[in-house]
Amino acid sequence: MDKEKSASKTGFARLWQIAMMKKPLIIGSMLLSAAASVIGFTPYISVYFIIREILMGFSDVTPLDAAALARYGWIAFAGAACNIILYFAALMLSHIAAFGTLYRLKADFASHLARTPLGFHALTGSGKLRKIIDDNIEKVEGFIAHQLPDFTAALVAPVAMFVILFAADWRFGAAASVGVIVSIYKQARLYGDKSAKDMMNKYQSALEDMNNASVEYIRGISVVKAFKRTVYSFRRLREAIESYTDMVIDYTLSWEKGYSASLAIVHNVFLFIMPVAILLGTFTQDYASFAGTAIFYLIFSQAAAGILTKVIYASGALMQISGAVDAMDAILAQPELPLAENPKSPTSFDVEFHNVTFSYDDEKRTEALSDVSFIARQGEVTAVVGPSGGGKSAIASLIPRFFDVAGGSVSVGGVDIREIDPYDLMNKVSFVFQDVFLFRQSVLDNIRMGAPEAADERVIEAAKAAQCHEFIEKLPQGYQTVIGAKGVNLSGGERQRIAIARAIVKDCPIVTLDEATAFLDPQNERLIQKAFESLMRDKTVIMIAHRLSTARGADQIIVMDEGRVAERGTHDELMSRSGRYSEMWRAYAGASSWRMARRKEGTGNA
Amino acid sequence: MPKLQQAMMLTDDGYRDLKKAIFACTLTNFSMLPPFFTLVQFVAELLRPFTGGAISPTKLWILFGAGIVSAFLTYLCQRNDYRKTYVVSYTQSKRTRVAVAEHIRRLPMSVFNSKNLSDLTSNIMADVANSEHALSHLAPQLIANGVSITVTCALLAIYDWRMALAMFITMPVSIAVVTLSEKIYGRLAKRFMEAKLDASDRVQEYIDGIKVIRACNMDGERFEALRKALREMMRNAMKFELGAGVFIMGAQTILQAGIGITTLAGTTLLTGGRISFESFTLFLIIAVKIYGPVITLLTLLPELFYFRIGIRRIRDLMAIETMDGDKEKDITSFGIVFEHVDFSYNKGETQTIRDLNLTIQAGGITALVGPSGGGKSTILKLIARFWDADRGKISIGGVNVKYIDPERLMGYMSFVFQDVTLFNDTVLGNIKIGDMDATEERARAAAKVARCDDFVNKLPEGYNTTLGENGATLSGGERQRISIARALLKDAPIILLDEATASLDPENEAAVQEAISALIEGKTVVVIAHSLRSVMGADKIAVLDKGRLFEQGTGEELLAKNGLFAKLYDIQRESLNWTAKK
Repeated sequence: MDKEKSASKTGFARLWQIAMMKKPLIIGSMLLSAAASVIGFTPYISVYFIIREILMGFSDVTPLDAAALARYGWIAFAGAACNIILYFAALMLSHIAAFGTLYRLKADFASHLARTPLGFHALTGSGKLRKIIDDNIEKVEGFIAHQLPDFTAALVAPVAMFVILFAADWRFGAAASVGVIVSIYKQARLYGDKSAKDMMNKYQSALEDMNNASVEYIRGISVVKAFKRTVYSFRRLREAIESYTDMVIDYTLSWEKGYSASLAIVHNVFLFIMPVAILLGTFTQDYASFAGTAIFYLIFSQAAAGILTKVIYASGALMQISGAVDAMDAILAQPELPLAENPKSPTSFDVEFHNVTFSYDDEKRTEALSDVSFIARQGEVTAVVGPSGGGKSAIASLIPRFFDVAGGSVSVGGVDIREIDPYDLMNKVSFVFQDVFLFRQSVLDNIRMGAPEAADERVIEAAKAAQCHEFIEKLPQGYQTVIGAKGVNLSGGERQRIAIARAIVKDCPIVTLDEATAFLDPQNERLIQKAFESLMRDKTVIMIAHRLSTARGADQIIVMDEGRVAERGTHDELMSRSGRYSEMWRAYAGASSWRMARRKEGTGNA
Repeated sequence: MPKLQQAMMLTDDGYRDLKKAIFACTLTNFSMLPPFFTLVQFVAELLRPFTGGAISPTKLWILFGAGIVSAFLTYLCQRNDYRKTYVVSYTQSKRTRVAVAEHIRRLPMSVFNSKNLSDLTSNIMADVANSEHALSHLAPQLIANGVSITVTCALLAIYDWRMALAMFITMPVSIAVVTLSEKIYGRLAKRFMEAKLDASDRVQEYIDGIKVIRACNMDGERFEALRKALREMMRNAMKFELGAGVFIMGAQTILQAGIGITTLAGTTLLTGGRISFESFTLFLIIAVKIYGPVITLLTLLPELFYFRIGIRRIRDLMAIETMDGDKEKDITSFGIVFEHVDFSYNKGETQTIRDLNLTIQAGGITALVGPSGGGKSTILKLIARFWDADRGKISIGGVNVKYIDPERLMGYMSFVFQDVTLFNDTVLGNIKIGDMDATEERARAAAKVARCDDFVNKLPEGYNTTLGENGATLSGGERQRISIARALLKDAPIILLDEATASLDPENEAAVQEAISALIEGKTVVVIAHSLRSVMGADKIAVLDKGRLFEQGTGEELLAKNGLFAKLYDIQRESLNWTAKK
């Protein structure tokens, strides 16, 4: 899809553009639907012919050709049946188109999400994003599968109707047309005006709020239970529910009068014909032919009801869908991380930060990194240490380009990472972060995510290197065990080791590690250290170290404080300097000798 | 309880409202009849000259006037109907949403273990939206149409039973087709719903795991699991829509054959002189119009079947038993005793806790240590009654926790857990979760003790900064400190700590250790710590392995024993010396 175009179009034009993703199917469906709607008039016309036939020989019914009359009856039925069958065929085509389009939109939306900076995700909330895929995009199905064919019918049928109406007698035609036009006008007023659109937007956002509130409610349930605060978070959800309800009721009631009036008119178009019939009837010369025409119009005007109700529903739904698509487009309009025109591929693997300035949020937060420069040499271990909030995690997030720098550059092998094709970059960098995320699929597939083409043997080998093999074998279905299935409870350490296995199988020249050993029990911690050792072999390693002892053996230690590089050097160099680093070591020694105990017993607080 | 009320999951108020809505809707349907009747009369009047009578323009004008008046009545009825059905259904949905949410918070934690996030959210959101639709668009219309069709049918039968029979003979057949095929598209609908739920799960997972997705170059369709789920959903949606469509369209076609049958019967009767010309015309006019409401009925019926699945799911959720207990019971002393406790997270699974006997001394510090999967966290959760034990007894101050209302029980405890959940609220609001009545000064004081000051002051609006969804912008250590501040504010007699100083840097760790020392002063403390050294000063250390109490004693006693504790102690010393180098 052309991003430029999709962002600029709104409303019907945008929906049309989406529908045209499956052009032949849609056109076919529209044609069939138009044909169906015209054929739908057959019963009304047939009935008129029957009455006319009878009127011609009204004085004596016996010579009437019963067979001919019955034939009209069957023609009426055939018309009705054809209408249904053609309409069904139209729907069949439109549904095939619709589901295909939905699939494409969802897949494209999902890939877009993967290409926007991660800060965007943090700010938007997963509830909202999921709602867009689950509900908003889903609404497009209604548009393509139902509204589009119905809308075509609703456009073609009145035209055909006008032709038929004026063909028989223009005076009746004009009278009936007034009725049809009045109700169409009413519709247009109802959906077209600006306040209706505002309402729609408010409705959408109230719905979104409610969605986010319920995700948060359920996610936080264990905490709220723990703090006896279920009422509190419950109240928030209830408020969201209430404001949604108020909104939707206001919204609906704003339609009450217009909608009711339209319906009353649509079902009684014959009321426009009656006075004309009376006036014309008083002056007519040929009563028999007048009566026939009048009755034709009175019957035929009934057909208006069916068609115009379709217009009512189609245009109402159109508004909703258009609002839903706008929400999707707003996200699609979020800039993706820009791609290089002529991507370069690095051949060596030094990672260099050059005067890097960065903040998570363009306006609000203070800079997470300011003027950071260092080089992590190929094949060496560079450890990054410092207090939390010092910028360690920011460094880790910039290397795989989860965010772009605000100033300066990050480069790999001398190539600015913004110049590297993102897919290529991801093949050069692997990482293990604290927040391990495993997918609801087999352990094997979870590890294989790192290298989709890897053979089972290679995956198992990686699992062995990551110290996973033993516990995986003990799972109910071994490597085929699905994560998150009933009875599969992995500990934090086990999950972490699977993540390491994933990185091992990925086998990238650059490895970024975010140490999170504090969560782990002694045995797991030891195993993870072993797993790290296998992963680090022959790589450029950037290790975000939370425990100073981890950093001690590194080839280079970068000490971060308040977003700046405070010091840099090997452990021995830094210790001899008695700066920030040696200060941290003193605190560390104190913290690790702390004992949890009663103060009064005086068992040593650091 | 009336069947309809049960089927639609309605409260008594809701049921009363639904009845009103049905009545209003039926009224609207009936209000359509008078205008139509004037039309028929008008046509009959126009035909009068053909049967030898004289036409009366006055009567025509009266009929026209009557038509206008009755159309206006239709308008009024429609407005009334609109108000009743929509307002009522949205109000009812609000009640249902609130009731479901209310119910969810009373459910035992075990439910949250087995049902996943999107399933539960979907319960609140989508299923209620479905039942909302069923209430506003389906049930009243369906019943009202049923009533008005029956009445019309009866009236016409009184007028001329032969023509009425011809006209309605196809109706039972087509309704039978729709009803009988319910099993088939009911199954298709169920599969579609399942596929949809699965896709929804996948989407949530995809968004939550976006870092990994990106790192593994698996955006969009490249992520096989997402691709499959979306494809599967597409396939099932198609099957369902088309499957149901075939039957409904078929039923409609059968129904419309009535037009042909009516004409055939009419002409036969007419040529035989057994029916008047006017009656015949009248039936013809009705015939082209009458099937509309029946078709509506035919389309609404399967929709209702479809929406019933959602309603059923809400009902299943509401049927899960909540955790209740005595809301008044006081606990006066805070020693905790486990007697022969067995527990497993899911029935039939291996037990997480096996025959556990453990005494946690009031006012003392008890540390739980051991390999992961040993049952340490489970013990804390059992004390807090997130779950109930399968066997045995857990008591606090001699009172069995099973008989205390979970929220009342919570009042006696503070938690500091590994995973801290934050709300989309201000920092202060998040801290005040610990005690909603606390003044701002007290909350800030607690935050200060928990060492939140340093990082909060750096936020753009300090304590009034709003955190994003689940506080996404804060680091693990920052979250942990907010959680400690909450506990300090709550000031409960029992403190449960699960790796409270994890993910802190050394300086903060020392600070938070201070905070914890303040927090645990004079309290009954149960702590899970992986740093064995930090709990050496505890009054009692319980070593757990595979759900059993392996050994217990003070740190010195256990080291001297040279058992599991001593072994873990050694491993840990070794890993503390580990360093990242080639």
